[in-house]
Amino acid sequence: MDDEKSDGDLARRSARVYAPLALGAGALFYLAAGWTGDLGPVARLGGSVWVAILSLIVSMPLVTARFKRRSRR
Amino acid sequence: MGEHRASLTVPVEGMTCASCVSHVEGALRQLPGVSDVAVNLAMGKASLVIEDDRTGLADVRQAISDVGYGVPEAEATLDVRGMTCASCVSHVEGALKGLRGVEGASVNLGLGTARVRYIPGAVTMGQMRRAVRDAGYEAQERSAGADALDRERQARQQEIRRQGRNLAIAAAIGMLVMTGTFYDMLGPLQAVVPVWLSYKWVLGLLTAPIVLGPGRQFFAHAWRGLKHGVTDMNLLYATGIGAAFGIAVINTAFPTAGFGGEGATFFESAALLTAFIVLGRWLEALTRGRTSESIRKLMKLQPKIARVLRDGTEEEIPADEVEVGDLVLVRPGESVPVDGLVRQGYSAVDESMLTGESLPVEKKVDDAVIGGTINRSGAFHFEATRVGKDTALAQIIKLVEDAQASKAPIQKLADWVAGHFILGVHMLAIVVFVFWFFFGYRMFFDPQSGFILSPYRLGDIGVFGFSLLLSVTVLVISCPCAVGLATPSAMMAGAGKGAENGVLFKGAEAIENTSKLQTIVFDKTGTLTKGEPSVTEVVALAEGHRAADSDNAGGDRKEFLLRLAGITEKNSEHPLGEAIVLAAREHGLPLTEPESFMSIPGRGVEARVDGLALLLGNRRLMAEHAVDLGGLQAEAERLEADGKTAMFIAVDGRAAGLIAVADTLKDHSREAIERLHQLGLEIVMITGDNRRTAEAIARQVGIDVVLAEVLPQDKAEQVKKLQAQGKKVAMVGDGVNDAPALAQADVGMAIGSGTDVAKETGHVILIKDDLRDVVTALEVGRATMGKVKQNLFWAFGYNMLGIPIAAGLLYPLSRVIVSPELAAAMMALSSVSVTLNTLLLRRFEPSSDRKRRGTRGVGRWLGRLSPANAGAK
Repeated sequence: MDDEKSDGDLARRSARVYAPLALGAGALFYLAAGWTGDLGPVARLGGSVWVAILSLIVSMPLVTARFKRRSRR
Repeated sequence: MGEHRASLTVPVEGMTCASCVSHVEGALRQLPGVSDVAVNLAMGKASLVIEDDRTGLADVRQAISDVGYGVPEAEATLDVRGMTCASCVSHVEGALKGLRGVEGASVNLGLGTARVRYIPGAVTMGQMRRAVRDAGYEAQERSAGADALDRERQARQQEIRRQGRNLAIAAAIGMLVMTGTFYDMLGPLQAVVPVWLSYKWVLGLLTAPIVLGPGRQFFAHAWRGLKHGVTDMNLLYATGIGAAFGIAVINTAFPTAGFGGEGATFFESAALLTAFIVLGRWLEALTRGRTSESIRKLMKLQPKIARVLRDGTEEEIPADEVEVGDLVLVRPGESVPVDGLVRQGYSAVDESMLTGESLPVEKKVDDAVIGGTINRSGAFHFEATRVGKDTALAQIIKLVEDAQASKAPIQKLADWVAGHFILGVHMLAIVVFVFWFFFGYRMFFDPQSGFILSPYRLGDIGVFGFSLLLSVTVLVISCPCAVGLATPSAMMAGAGKGAENGVLFKGAEAIENTSKLQTIVFDKTGTLTKGEPSVTEVVALAEGHRAADSDNAGGDRKEFLLRLAGITEKNSEHPLGEAIVLAAREHGLPLTEPESFMSIPGRGVEARVDGLALLLGNRRLMAEHAVDLGGLQAEAERLEADGKTAMFIAVDGRAAGLIAVADTLKDHSREAIERLHQLGLEIVMITGDNRRTAEAIARQVGIDVVLAEVLPQDKAEQVKKLQAQGKKVAMVGDGVNDAPALAQADVGMAIGSGTDVAKETGHVILIKDDLRDVVTALEVGRATMGKVKQNLFWAFGYNMLGIPIAAGLLYPLSRVIVSPELAAAMMALSSVSVTLNTLLLRRFEPSSDRKRRGTRGVGRWLGRLSPANAGAK
């Protein structure tokens, strides 16, 4: 029971880090795409969603594993 | 309980009284952050509460050992289901190692097992199972022997059925989607294909059950892993399938949204991608179990039923319930259920698995019989001496299983790469997407360009669709499975192949080291030679003694001398003396008691036989008694040059002749050495004998480097010296006497261990007493490592070539890209090809077997057994 509770807590704390990271990467992409000037809004939006998804996939295990390690210490 | 507080129970070894309890309690209480310490003497356990951030389990163990007690470890094996690639290995290992109380974990992808070292009480089996489940896999404790075999087979067949069903669904619907997608190109076939099949929304409806049915497993596994911070192959599949399907749905539902419109719907990509990935899973499930076929064959040899005599009545009981001391009855055609000693009856037993002897071995009272061998002729009763996991067969199975579950040094790199592969590929997918989105599309895109092996044109696909396509293809084409399977699958096959040929490797490292050997050091006595001196020549002087002439007029002067020598040595315990007595007996000579006998250490013996004064010994003995050796000197030197020991005989103070005694070569020593030379190895002989004898034996057997006059305790030092020259050295010898040298060598090969393999020192155990098995060990090692290298080359090569091509590296020149479905097909073929390449090792046959075709080794034995008689009785 305690384990499950602490797992949930760990997941929430990790999400507070990787979610902004992924969204930040997506937002950065959106801004960069806008800055080039000649890309349509749909491509910009689609691209930033894809970058955010991939960033989430990359950052989620890294951040979660880091939190896990820290909690074990 | 606070956030960082945890209760802990650890077993404590060595406590005998109440003061031990207070010592342990005192030691634990002194640790920072420890409270509620209670030590139970009867249960041998200590319970405590620790603050995680201040004290760990390691501190607790250290504190207990500092006061003179121990915390024992236990080992368990879990069957883990759902692992598909090497990154799964690191996830499962990580999940288990992350548990408090787990001291080590080693996962074998090929076998689907995790071996865990843990502290009982500090962690439970349930926690281990849960940790593995949380990482996205299924685990259960492994049962032993045949149960494990049955369970593993069941699980594999279940997986084959499951993926077969998925494949049937995905392939059937996928074909419809393909037909609909390429409706315009069907030509006359359009008459039989309804046009509505090409409607995008119909394609979407057809693809959805594939993605949500057979493809659902990838999303479920990927999500479960991500939640716990792990990534595996399923994530690659899920991202690829999800992106292809998602974009297709958006472009169908909102064609004007700007994602490429109806020209960029990838329903067929999503459908075929799923079908190909499932095909890969199905093929893997089909082929993977076959690499461990040898262990299955060995397990099949374990008899299931035994017929025991209890209280005078015959009872049929499960073989694993036989107890030491039970009297077991074996009838013709039945398997011997356990190891034991014949107490009644006579028979011939086929035990070629251990001896390599093709003919059945006669068994009479007091002879040993081995469990798993087959009784060919008569019936007999035997007394069980080793049962359950102590039987020879169980020991062999355990050794092979351990070897298959262990990791070779070469695997470390592959494990590291595979463990970081998935994240690396996702990062690369971002880079590829960003490059093509911002630069590549505008620099190189050509609407006339298309896919490799496809008539499909990219047409008016937009920047986002094009970049996404390449990014998804990178995810789909990459295959860490092949990297992860390359080494363990070959090691499993190699260890099994060795066992089939009577060569037991004690780990994957032993296989790898064996393949790298440059120098092989052979112990002489008992390894190259039989280790039992025997009389090779008797030389009698023409005028030896009047007694010889009178007693043997017309008879054999040599036999007379041998008889005298035999009587003289009758009470000797010296190996040379025993050889003479044996030779005299073999000649049927009557050996009476000597009238007197005196052993003179370092010289020989002095005795009185039939009224004659006899001297039998070396030159020094003769010189001390002023015996003129005359013509015998030259003869003795000739014999000594051949490695024989010459013993002079003087009768009544006059030289009468000499007897040459020598240790003879084993039957196949010369052949084995010749083949090792052909394999390019340096062969060294090590012995405690004098140089002349040693060199003579070396000449006979064909060895050119001799280390003579080496005391047993110095053999390890000599091996070390060879290693200091940068050579990879194997030592072949008796597993008991040569233990230090065997341990020192890079590969210690214990030869002729027979049935008690568990007690053997050394990294490789040669069950039979046949030196040709050293060659077999080398050939198996080299063949296995050859496969490992081929597999790794293919796996790394595939990814290193495939990923850049999928990323569009060649697009500026070729104007074609890899479609996601082709990428999926290549990925599936890549991991299957590694397994298939490994399976080629099943065809391996040692060179000695090719010569002695048909009869020797476990493999031949296994091959001859039909499933019917291999099973139970």
